[in-house]
Order: sequence, then structure tokens, then C-alpha cells
Amino acid sequence: MSKKPNQQPALHKVIMVGSGGVGKSALTLQFMYDEFVEDYEPTKADSYRKKVVLDGEEVQIDILDTAGQEDYAAIRDNYFRSGEGFLCVFSITEDESFQATQEFRDQILRVKNDENIPFLLVGNKSDLDEKRKVSLTDANARAQQWGVPYVETSAKTRDNVDKILCRQC
Amino acid sequence: MADFATKKIGAPDFNPEKYVKELSQRCVGGQELQQQRQKIQTLADETNILLKKNVYQNYMQFIETAKEISHLESEMYQLSHMLTEQRSLLSSLAATSLLGDKIPSAVDSDGATGNSGEGEEQKEEEESRRKLAAILEKVEGCVTLLETSGRTILHEGDLLELDPIENSALQRVHAYLFSDGFMIASWIPNRRGPVRYKFEAMYELGSLAVVNVRDMSSVKTAFKLLAFPDTRVFQCTNNQSKKEWLDKFEQAKKARFVQEQQKRESASQIERSPSRPSHSDSLESPSNPFEDADDSNAESELPEWLMEVPEDLDVCIAQRHFEEAYNLLERAREFLDKNTATDPVITDIRRKVEARVRALTEVLMKELEVSPDKSLQGGLRAARRAVRLLNQLGRSTQACDLFLKLCSSILKTQLKRVKREGATVLYVQQIGGIFFSNLTDMTREFLRAFPHSPSCASAFVMWAGSELTHLTSHLIKQVFMPQSSITMLAECVTCVRNQCDQLSELGVDLRYQLDGLLRTPLTRALRDAREKLVDAVKLRAVEDKWHPMNLQSKAGLTKFLQEMSDIGIASIHTYVTGDCWLGLTSNTVAFSKLYLMLLDDCLRLATPELQYTVDDVLSDVFQAQMLHVEASCSSEKYKAESQFIQKNAAFLLDTLLTLAEHCYEEKIGNPCAQLSKLRDKYSHLKKIVASRSLIVQL
Repeated sequence: MSKKPNQQPALHKVIMVGSGGVGKSALTLQFMYDEFVEDYEPTKADSYRKKVVLDGEEVQIDILDTAGQEDYAAIRDNYFRSGEGFLCVFSITEDESFQATQEFRDQILRVKNDENIPFLLVGNKSDLDEKRKVSLTDANARAQQWGVPYVETSAKTRDNVDKILCRQC
Repeated sequence: MADFATKKIGAPDFNPEKYVKELSQRCVGGQELQQQRQKIQTLADETNILLKKNVYQNYMQFIETAKEISHLESEMYQLSHMLTEQRSLLSSLAATSLLGDKIPSAVDSDGATGNSGEGEEQKEEEESRRKLAAILEKVEGCVTLLETSGRTILHEGDLLELDPIENSALQRVHAYLFSDGFMIASWIPNRRGPVRYKFEAMYELGSLAVVNVRDMSSVKTAFKLLAFPDTRVFQCTNNQSKKEWLDKFEQAKKARFVQEQQKRESASQIERSPSRPSHSDSLESPSNPFEDADDSNAESELPEWLMEVPEDLDVCIAQRHFEEAYNLLERAREFLDKNTATDPVITDIRRKVEARVRALTEVLMKELEVSPDKSLQGGLRAARRAVRLLNQLGRSTQACDLFLKLCSSILKTQLKRVKREGATVLYVQQIGGIFFSNLTDMTREFLRAFPHSPSCASAFVMWAGSELTHLTSHLIKQVFMPQSSITMLAECVTCVRNQCDQLSELGVDLRYQLDGLLRTPLTRALRDAREKLVDAVKLRAVEDKWHPMNLQSKAGLTKFLQEMSDIGIASIHTYVTGDCWLGLTSNTVAFSKLYLMLLDDCLRLATPELQYTVDDVLSDVFQAQMLHVEASCSSEKYKAESQFIQKNAAFLLDTLLTLAEHCYEEKIGNPCAQLSKLRDKYSHLKKIVASRSLIVQL
């Protein structure tokens, strides 16, 4: 296994969490393949891998796109355990998804047992500003309270997509 | 006039006083009144006869109806038996086609229809256990696989394990997906024997995260398992197989989730009503006094005897202590019925106990089976024990089946011992005696073994019927031959009938069937006899010279008179003339003897179904003789003998025919219409004699 440890670039495991339908898969697919998928189909669990150049160094990003709904807590915990950085996504047009982020944060902290784990609060669907339900102030306040950055993205316009992922690494 | 009187008397407003008045007014003198009286007398006689005829007709109809009803009843029995057979066939067919596997033996369908679903479940469980056992043989080090009850295999296949970081190939594995977990086994490089894989890991389905790895340049058709701390990547051979794996994982997870949710729901229900014991819904009597005690016991530990039940049962069965085995089984079952908890130990014992039940059933059925090398010495008594236990185990249908087969073979061997030597009648008597006495014993034994089982009873009726058919066809072959005399046949048939009637004491009436089976051959035999006798009559007629019979001596005459009075014609002494002469021809006397014998045989054979044939035979034979008399009467050749001929005719009609009619009526219960018709037809021959003799006397 460790015959050629230096040949492979560093691997960063990023996990997308958040309620169903907030755009986790759309963000992932935009990042991976530069395309926006309009059709919604609930994800079970997908993993992607991509090489990116970060600060002049080639690294690999391993993205685990999780299901918004998972029946088994034990399985959810196993997802979280395998992650090194977390993108906690909500939709700015849906307050419930924002409220759910608190639960995800709590679960991740419980599993990882590390307050300083790389964590990013992501407000997706920024292109739908006219339907906004979650104010920038509320989101920022929550991010500040957790001590994590807050970024607003749009999987549709690719706004900030690269930024959030590269920031995780 | 007579018609007029009939009309008058028959009228609804008939007034006897008025009628008598009218008559007395019209008639003059005693003689005329006498005439009237005679007319009324004949009218009364006629009415009497008509009435008798009507009663007779109704009586016949009544008998026929009764026969028809008994026939119908036996048909209903047959139908019921066929339905039972069909039902068991269908249920076994259903079970077979569902699982593609032969079921060991159908559960008794007697009042156990609710068991079929249960049985199927059991079959499925067995099937899955079989599959798991097969896996056990292939994979080394996974003996615990069978310990979890209800585990089934959902999917299996070969996979290639990849390094989760470098995506390089690591090893080939064989993976199994069960209803509750995922097992990985690696290939054994130098395998020997049936073991091909080595157990490596088992992941609980409830905590195993399955991740679809999107195809990339370096890795295609792979999926990832996250089971902290392991992260394992497996590559499938193609997209389809990967899709299949992922779908199966999803299905298994969903099924498990639903199952767990149900369990949680029922658990919360119990919490809400703590007074109710967890398994009371499957208890038959909630007021069982042992319930509480057993509850606490079951939770803590099982009684020692229960743990040893399977082994003890094996011992009992091996030592042929079947009753003990059954008692132990019942005790274990009772205990297990009370404990519906899904404790793996109890489940295991239950499974083992059920296996012993099947083993016991099989041993008992073997016990009853008929095989050529098994002695039938013990007879049915020896079968009692096995039959009783099978009944108790709820396998009456099979027991009944085997019991009847056993009966058949006993009957067969018993009948084979009867050698045909000497007189046919003796042989028939012997064979019938053995058959029916055995059948009586078997019926008794059957009633004792299966007292309250309608489907078994119908099977028995069917069986008895077929055995009887068997015997009858054998007898027909042996006895009904062209050269066999009607007397011998009558003897045989009467004998068999009497023996058959003894069975009806036990409620098995085979007489109707017997008569039905014998009807065709008997009819044929009767017709043959008629042909033969008519021929004989014709032959003797040719030789008849119309001479009185000479008995040679006084002693001869005495002997002859004795002989005739023995067969019922005592009045023949009036025909004796001189020392040794008889006023009848030897032909007439011979015919009388012959005819009375025939009559006796026919009456012995007669049944309502054969009545018509019997009547025909009796009248045809008699008519043949009368034809001869009539022909001689009008013949020129015997003109001188005409008086003598008429005397013979008178004897035939008055003495012989009257006697025959009398016997007939006594035996059958009603007069024979055909014989009285004959009398009317030929009475003119006699009348001439009467008038002539009158003239002679004058």
C-alpha cells in the first residue's frame, strides 16, 4: 500500500452535507464537470475525485456527496468519520434547510470530536436572491458563532464554487 | 252390465243402500239375486287384485328409491374422497412450484388449513438455511453464519478490491450480501476440497455506508464502503453488476429499516401497556396459570430438560420408544408455544424439535409401509401403535392411506393361500369367508383407529369397494364359466351374499355393490340356463310318446312318491293307477323335477335388478313345455291320446304352475305376473280335459 507514497499527490477528503434539495450535488457536479444539472434526483451517496492545482501544487480532492436523508444514524456517522473537511450547505430560499445546518454541525462535532475541523457554511442558490428567505445577517451570525467562514454560492452561475472547494484544502 | 255396475259403485256419490234397493226391485227370484251377488263378488275380487298391484308397484318403487339413495350415498363418499385427494394434491403442487423443491410430506389437511401459510414460511426458512449451509461449506471461518435466525442471502459475487487512496488493485474477493450484513471473503490461493474462500470481514448493514464511486479516468464501476475505521473500495466487472450491487444494498437497507421500525413500534406498544406480556397475542389461553412463572423462567434460563430434548428425542426414536418420543415432543411443543420470544437458543431448539417431528413421522410411516421383505405376521394389531401415533401427530390422512395399503396386502396374502381344489362351491365359500371375515376385522380395526374422521371414512369406503370389485372379478373368472350349472352358481352367490351381509352390522353395506357387480354375469348365466333348458325340453318332446309312466314295482312307486313329495308335489299320488302305473308321462314328471329345481335356483339368485330376467327365464322354460303339450294336442298323431295329454296339461298348469307361483310369491313377496299370464294363456288345454272328463264321468 505504501510502496510509492510520494507518487500520488496529497488527498483531501471533503464531504458535502445539508438537507435534501439544497444543491449539494449541483455544486459538486459544477465543480467536477463545469455543468449545471437542472433535474433533481435525490442522491444516495456518490464519491468524486479530481486533481486540482492549489498554490502551484497538484492535489487531489475527494468529494463525498452524501444523501440529504439517511435513515441510519450509524451510517451517517460513518460518512462524517471519513471526512477531513465539511461543506455544510443550505439553500437561501429555504429557512428550514438553514435551521437544519445546526443539527449537521452538532453531529459532525460529536463524531469528529474536534472544534477546529475545517468547516464551511455555504448558502447556495444565490442567483435566486428575489426568493431569499435567509438573510445574509442571520447566516453570517451563525457562521461567526461557530467560528467558521460563510460563503454564498450559485451552482447555476458557478459563483464561488471553486472558492469554497479550494478553501477546504 | 258389469261395466255399468263398476261405474255406479265407483261413482263418488255411491249409496250402497240405494243400490241394493234398486237391485232388489229389478231382480226377480233368488237366482237372479244370486247372479247379482256373484257379479259384485267378482268386482270385489278385481278391485282387490288391482289394489294389490298398486301396492306392489309402490313397494317396488320404494325399494328402487332406497337402492338409488344408497347408491347415491356411496357416490357422495367417493366424491368426497376424490375432493380430499385433489385438495392435498393441489396444496402439495402449490408448495412445490413455489419453491421448486420437493416438500417432505404435506401437513395433514384435516382441519389444518391455517397451517399452509405457516408451512410455506417454514419452507422458505429452510431453503435459506440450506443456502447458508452451502456458503458455510465454501467459506472458511464463518461458522457463526447460521446462528442468527432469519438471515437470508440476497446477493453474492466476485469483486476486485482497490486501494482507497491509490486506486490500485489489491485482491480478488468474493462478497455476500445478507439481509443483515455484508461479508467479504478472500480467495484461498491453493485450495483443496470444497472450501474456496477465507472469511475476512462482516459488516453490519445498519452502520455500513455504501458510496457510489463516480467513474473517473483511473477507476470505473466501483463502489466504496465506509465502515469506520475501514474505507474499502471494490470494483465490479461491469456497470450492470455495480448497479445490481448498489440496488441490492439499497433494498436490503430499506427492508431492514422497515423491519426495525416495526420492532420499535411493537416495543413501544408494549411499553405503553406493560401489563400485557410480550407474546400474549400468540397464546391460545391467556388464563394459563403457568404463564407468569414461565415468563420469568424463559427470560433468565431455559430448563435443562428442554435443552436436551433434541438429543433425547433422537435416542427415543432410535430405540423405538415412540410413545415416549411423542410425549416428550408434546411437552417441548407446549413449552415452546408458550415461549414465542425470538431468543436464538429457543429458535434453535424449536427448529431441532420440528426436525425430530418429521423424523418421527417418517419412521412411523416406514413402520406402516408394505414391503415384500416385511412379514405380515402381526397383522393389523401390529400397526395399531404407529397409526395411533401418526394420528396424534396430525397425519391421519397418511396413516389412513398406509393402513389401507397394509390391509390390501394382508388380504392379498390371505387370499393367495386358498388353493382351488375340489368343488367350486367349497372354494368360493372359503375364499369369501376369508375375504369377509378379514374385511370385518379390518373394519373394526379401522373404526377403532380413525373414529371421527370423515375423510378417512370415505377413503375406507372407497378402499372396501375396490377390494370387493377385485374379489368379485376374481370370482367371476373362477366361477362363471359356460359349463357351470345354475345350481352351483346359486349356491356360490348365496354364500357370498350371506357373508357380505354380515358386514352391514358394522355399518358397511357392500351388498348393493356386490349385486351390481354380479348382475351382468348372472344375467348372462340365467339366459344361458334358459337356452339349455328350452333345448332340453324340445329334445325330450321329440321322444315323448305320451305313454303313462311305469314305475316297475311297488317299492319303486313308494320311492317315487316320496321323492316327489320331497320336492313339494305330494298330490301326485292321485295320479297313481294300479300297482305301479302313473297317469302322467315320464316327460311331465322329469320336467316337473327340472322346473322346480330351476325355480329354486332362480329364487335364490333373484334380486330386484334381476327380477325381470328371472321372470323371463321361468316363463320361457315353462312355455316351452306347454308348447309341446299344445302341439301334441292338435297333432293328428296323438288323437287317441288326447285325453291323456290333457290330463298332463292339467297337472302342469294346476299342480306344477300353482306350486311355482306359490313358491315365487312366498320368496319374492309378490305374485309373478308372467306366470299367471301363462296360466291364462294355456288354461284352454285344461278346460277341454275338464269338459271331457265330465263327459266321461257322465
